Amino acid sequence: MSHEVDEYNSKDEPKETSGGMDHSPSDDSSDWRRTKRVYAYCADRLGLDLLVDLGQKKLVPIHRTTPFYYLGGMALFLVIVMFGTGVLLALHYKPSADRAFDSVQSIMTDVQFGWLIRSVHAWGAALLIAVLILHLLTTYMMRAYRRPREYTWVTGCFLLGLFMAFGFSGYLLPWNQLAFFATRVGTAIVGVVPVVGEELLIWARNGEDVTGDTLARFHSLHVSIFPLIALVLLGAHLFLVQKHGMSVPDAAAKAAGGKNRVPSIPFVPDFLLRDAVGWYLAIALLALLSAIFPWELGEQADPFGSAPEGIKPEWYFMFMFQALKLIPAHVFGLEGEMLGVMFFGFCGLIVLLVPFLDWGQRSRQVLNGLAIISLIFAIVMTIWGYLA
Amino acid sequence: MKNLPVILVMLVSAGVLLRMAEQQTVAQVESENTTEAEQKIAEATSRKDSSCMKCHGEADLWEGDRLRYFITENHLAKDLHWKKGIQCDDCHGGNPESMNFREAHSAEAGYRVISTPQDIPQFCGHCHSNVEYMSRYSPSPKTNQESDFWTGGHGRRLKENPEAGVANCVSCHGFHGILPIDDQTSPTYPKNVAKTCATCHSDAEKMAGIDYHGRPIGHDQYELWSTSVHASLLMEKGDLSAPTCNDCHGNHGAVAPDVNSVASACATCHVKIGELFNSASMKHRFEQASLPGCATCHGKHDIHQPTDDLLGLDMGAVCASCHLDGKFGATLAGSMEAKMMGERLKELKERIASSEAKVEHAEQLGMEVRRAKFRLHDAHTALNNARVAIHSFAQEPMKETIEKGLSVTQEVDEQAEAALREHTFRRIWLALFLVPIAMAVVLLILFIQTQPPPTIQNLEH
Repeated sequence: MSHEVDEYNSKDEPKETSGGMDHSPSDDSSDWRRTKRVYAYCADRLGLDLLVDLGQKKLVPIHRTTPFYYLGGMALFLVIVMFGTGVLLALHYKPSADRAFDSVQSIMTDVQFGWLIRSVHAWGAALLIAVLILHLLTTYMMRAYRRPREYTWVTGCFLLGLFMAFGFSGYLLPWNQLAFFATRVGTAIVGVVPVVGEELLIWARNGEDVTGDTLARFHSLHVSIFPLIALVLLGAHLFLVQKHGMSVPDAAAKAAGGKNRVPSIPFVPDFLLRDAVGWYLAIALLALLSAIFPWELGEQADPFGSAPEGIKPEWYFMFMFQALKLIPAHVFGLEGEMLGVMFFGFCGLIVLLVPFLDWGQRSRQVLNGLAIISLIFAIVMTIWGYLA
Repeated sequence: MKNLPVILVMLVSAGVLLRMAEQQTVAQVESENTTEAEQKIAEATSRKDSSCMKCHGEADLWEGDRLRYFITENHLAKDLHWKKGIQCDDCHGGNPESMNFREAHSAEAGYRVISTPQDIPQFCGHCHSNVEYMSRYSPSPKTNQESDFWTGGHGRRLKENPEAGVANCVSCHGFHGILPIDDQTSPTYPKNVAKTCATCHSDAEKMAGIDYHGRPIGHDQYELWSTSVHASLLMEKGDLSAPTCNDCHGNHGAVAPDVNSVASACATCHVKIGELFNSASMKHRFEQASLPGCATCHGKHDIHQPTDDLLGLDMGAVCASCHLDGKFGATLAGSMEAKMMGERLKELKERIASSEAKVEHAEQLGMEVRRAKFRLHDAHTALNNARVAIHSFAQEPMKETIEKGLSVTQEVDEQAEAALREHTFRRIWLALFLVPIAMAVVLLILFIQTQPPPTIQNLEH
């Protein structure tokens, strides 16, 4: 015990003046001295020095494509918004087939600002996926996945997949007619996966068909299992980003005459302030969308009713949905839908393994060609899906 | 302990044997309970030694007028009775084991002769009026068809004149191919009943000269009924509970409802309206004037979907047809009452339309107005109840439901207006929210401009 006291007196006390609080314009004021004491207390016990060091040392290179760096911060901000609004919604949501719809209706009408929270959550989800897709594309374009950042890319890909799964599971929770039948169609696609499809389908639906049990399963995935996985993956992703710093594109390094000749700004406060501008704009956009286009509730799900017209998934699944609709029932004697699912699975695997497939000029050209074709295919299919 | 496995095997075996014995006992009890009725039917179906088909199934033996005696199993394949194991002699009597014509068809052998159509009800009633026999097929069988028939219009006319060509059992049900009433091809299936009746009742020649209570019976009933709301429900919408001929006129004891009992026939389905009409003073006025209750305003067979225009004194209003001319002792006070009722109904309809427009407007603006929309159903219910209350021919019962409907529309209006206010509030809130955000963004950008420019530092650090 005495050793700890000695250590505190001898090692930590001097840190108080050399930490993150040593640039005050009025060192003599009693208020400042009190603030410094509080900071020293916290820094000593909570290891704030590590964060302060990180903030002070972290640099962000400035070049033509620097704006792409904002996408990661924007995605993180939206994830925080989703967690916050999700927790508020969970306070009022009742996850059972006979009460889910009414509880969402009550959130929209009775709960103070419930309409805003739900709409921000729903619009935020769409915006988050859009930002994540842009983040993935820009990271690919800047080739920021190269050694030693392979696993930053891999964790990012898993995060994108996970947030799409978040979207799919959350879509059913209001238990409305459109979501019910879209989930029935969506989960049926899982059933065509070779070998494990049927088991996967029964597991996903928590039974043979989409029922109240499916709702309970989707709810538990959406509010407990996926968030836990997301925290782990996000932690790993952020750790790797901090560990390896910001990647500088080849072109920027070449133009500056070397990677270390690229001008940079400190992350705190310069880049963070720029990030904050983006966050403010995102909040404003979410508020605007929520107030002008509140997220619809639709009609309560009726499992025995006829499927409503225009069943469609969330926009980010539309290209797959449309493509699967266009594939013939049988291709070369194999089930068309199964081939489609296997194809998209294979595409996902290629995206995941991009850092390991980019081993030279030739392979890069092949990857770029595939990326352009895939992007055009996804855009065309999405537009076609909405027009069809 | 060495014997432990043996003891375990014995215990398990004993358990299995006990379980099997228990299951066998349960199965025995169940089979005793369930097969009693089946045994009775099996008893009937077991007699396959009938010789009737040996002659009646021989095509060469029958020709001309006697071809109707040519009966094969094919003719009977769909017959309800045949399928239940009822054989020729169960209906016709006689001796099915004899190959001798006279012996097989002798009165001594119990052969039942049908010499005139008058004999048919009794022929069918041999079984259908026998409770004990019919209980083989149903625990609470109906055995009043024959007695009903003789009290009905057809039965009475048949009794008077056996050769009058009046309908009897086989006219509607057929004979050697009788189908159950739930068979869609049966002439007695609800959707086919009107057509079955029409085979005679739309035949002008057949109906010529036939009177009922001193009035010609006519032959346009089917034609009129086909245009009615009831026919539309039954034939187009497939609502098998919608009335066809037998629902108002009866089945086996079919008669036209008496002038004073029309309301009772209608009240079988329109219960509330019937109650109101029966307790209204107007009912007695109708009776005094020999007006046929509901049919006075709504028609008989060609009953159309009633509209609110029927009420009041305007053109097309049924009230006007008596009250304007003072026909049947109709009073001016009554006409004023009808006018007031029409105006009240109109007021509620207009209020509902106005509330619906407000709710729709709020919905189009993206507001959540599901509850208001749901509440509007109550206003429509009140409107329908008010329409029902017209049949009390008094303002008071109607006023009550109209008031209820109006209060619902007021509630809906408030909800819709609240949604519209909320919509305005959201716009204001949005503006108030965006202004500080815009200011913060501008300030941040200005502040960023004051920051030192990027410098070259070691990015590997």
